[in-house]
Amino acid sequence: MNENKLQAVSSLLDQQPVDENLLTELTDNDTLNESWSRYHLIGDIMRGETADFIDSKLSHNIASAIAAEPTLLAPKATTSIAQKVKAKVIQLGKPFGQFAIAASAAGLMILGVQQANNEGDMTAVPAQVWQPLPMGGVADPVSYNYSRQDTAQPSQQKRAQIERQQKLQAILADHQMQTKLHSKAAPTEVSEQIDTKQPNKN
Amino acid sequence: MNQKILSLLLALVTMPVLSQQSIESNHSSEDIVAKPVINDEQATEQTAISPIEQSAKVPTALQWMQRLSYSIRNLNFDSSFVVVKNNRAEPYRWLHGVDENNELELMTLLNGPRKESVRVNDNVSYFNSTLHPYTVKADAISGPIPVAFSGDIEKLQQSYDFVSVGKSRILGRPAQLIRLESRDKQRFGYWLWLDVQSGLLLKAALINRNGDLLEQIQFTHLLITEKSSDTLNQLLVAELPTTLDVSHQVPELSWQVSWLPSGFELVNTKRNRLAGINQEVESLMYNDGLVDVSIYVSATNEANRPVSINQAGATVLLSQLRDGYEINVVGQIPSDTAKAIADSVNFN
Repeated sequence: MNENKLQAVSSLLDQQPVDENLLTELTDNDTLNESWSRYHLIGDIMRGETADFIDSKLSHNIASAIAAEPTLLAPKATTSIAQKVKAKVIQLGKPFGQFAIAASAAGLMILGVQQANNEGDMTAVPAQVWQPLPMGGVADPVSYNYSRQDTAQPSQQKRAQIERQQKLQAILADHQMQTKLHSKAAPTEVSEQIDTKQPNKN
Repeated sequence: MNQKILSLLLALVTMPVLSQQSIESNHSSEDIVAKPVINDEQATEQTAISPIEQSAKVPTALQWMQRLSYSIRNLNFDSSFVVVKNNRAEPYRWLHGVDENNELELMTLLNGPRKESVRVNDNVSYFNSTLHPYTVKADAISGPIPVAFSGDIEKLQQSYDFVSVGKSRILGRPAQLIRLESRDKQRFGYWLWLDVQSGLLLKAALINRNGDLLEQIQFTHLLITEKSSDTLNQLLVAELPTTLDVSHQVPELSWQVSWLPSGFELVNTKRNRLAGINQEVESLMYNDGLVDVSIYVSATNEANRPVSINQAGATVLLSQLRDGYEINVVGQIPSDTAKAIADSVNFN
C-alpha cells in the first residue's frame, strides 16, 4: 500500500484538506477503507471514547455466516418411539444404606399407562385404549404460589403416589436382582460340531 | 366425458384392493422366509434352485445363532457397546478371554456410578456402588446382553422362530441380520446383527409387534485377539466377594398363576421383604429361555384404583388390585401379555 495514500487518509482524519480522488478511492479500496476505520479506532481508544471494544469484523463475519447457511424450509419430521409416547424421568428418593438396590433401577425413564378400570369411566374411555400418564404424578412442578387451601388433599394423594412408585421401583429392583441370581445360560456342549459349521473360518 | 368419470371411479375402486394386495404379498413373503427355519430340509430344497449358492453352503439362521453362542464363549475379545432405550444411552465395555484352564469375563458400565460384573469360570461377581458386592454361581453375566445368546440356542426355538434376513454393514464390518420372531403374539422380537467374520454380536434391537424399536444395543468397538488380555488375567489373582447361597426353602403360596405364554418355565418361588420399603411380598419367576417374567403378590389396604402399566424400554411393570391383594407383573413382555398374566392369578 502506498505510503502517501495512508498519509492522506490520516490527513483526512485530522480534517485537513485532501485530494478529492482520495474520497472515491477510500470507498472503493478495501485496504484504505480498513485503514480509515482503524485510524478512527486508534483515535477513539487514545481519547478513551471506546466503552466496549467491538470488533468491526464480527458483524461482518456473522453476516457472511448467515449468508452461507442453507435455506431451511421445514425440518423433516422424524418419527421415533420417544415421540409417540411421552417419556418422563422419574426422580426417586435418595438411595440409603444397603437398601439402595432400588436406586440401581431408579435411573430408568418410565412412561406410565393407565387403564380406566371402574365402570363409571368405562363409558368415557373404551376398553383397551391406554392413556399415557406420567408415573407418580410428577407432571406438574409445584410452584411457589401454590394455593394453601388445596394442599391438604393433594399432598396426601401425592404421598400415596410416591409410596406406590417406591414399591414399583422396589419390585423392579427385586426382579432384576432375581434375574442375576438365577441366570443360567446352559451352553450347548457340542461346541466342536458347531465350529465346523462356521461359514467363514478365518 | 362419461368414460373419464368411469375410469376415475374404477381407479377409486381398485386402489384399496391394490393396497390390500400389497399388504398380503408382504405377509406371504415373510412366510416364505420363515419356512426354512421351521424345516431345514425344505430350506436346502428351496436354495437348490441356485447350484452356486448350494455349493457355498449358506448357513441357516439356527447355525448363525449357534455360532453366536459358540463365539461368545470361545473367542478372546475386547468390545464396547452402547445400550439405547428411552432416549438414554449407556456405554459398556465387555471383555472375554479363554485359555486351557480358565474362562474370564468382565462387563462394566462406563458412565455414572460404578457397576461392574466379573466372571471367573462359574463364579459371577457383581460390584455396585450402592450394594455390597456378591458372587453367585452362574455360567454367564446377567447384563444388557441376554445370557441366552451364549446358552442353549435350541431351547430358544420352543418360543422363537429364527429368520435369516440379509446382510448389511454394522461397525464397519459385514453383518448378517437374524430375526428372532416370537411364535405367538405374547413376546417381543429380537433383531440381531452378527459379524460375518467372527459370529459375534454387532447390534441388537428389541422390536414390538408394530415394528417399533424399544431398546437397542450397538457395538462401537470390537477387537478379537489370539490371547486373553492382561486386564482379564488379573482377575485370576483378584479376591472375589463371598458367594451367595441362592437355594432356600420353597414357601407354600396361597395363589397360582394359571396362564403364561407357552415356553415359560418356573425358575424361582419366594417370599421376602422388599428392600427399601420393607414390605412382604410373594413372587414367582418364570423364564422362556430368553426373557424373565416375575409375578409379585402382596396384601394391600389400598382402595380400588385403575390398573397401571409402566414401561421402561422393553420392560413392563403392571400393577393391579384384586380382592385385597396387589398383583404386579414385571418383565420384558408386551403390556397385553402382562395384563393377561395378572388376570390369570388365582387365590385359594
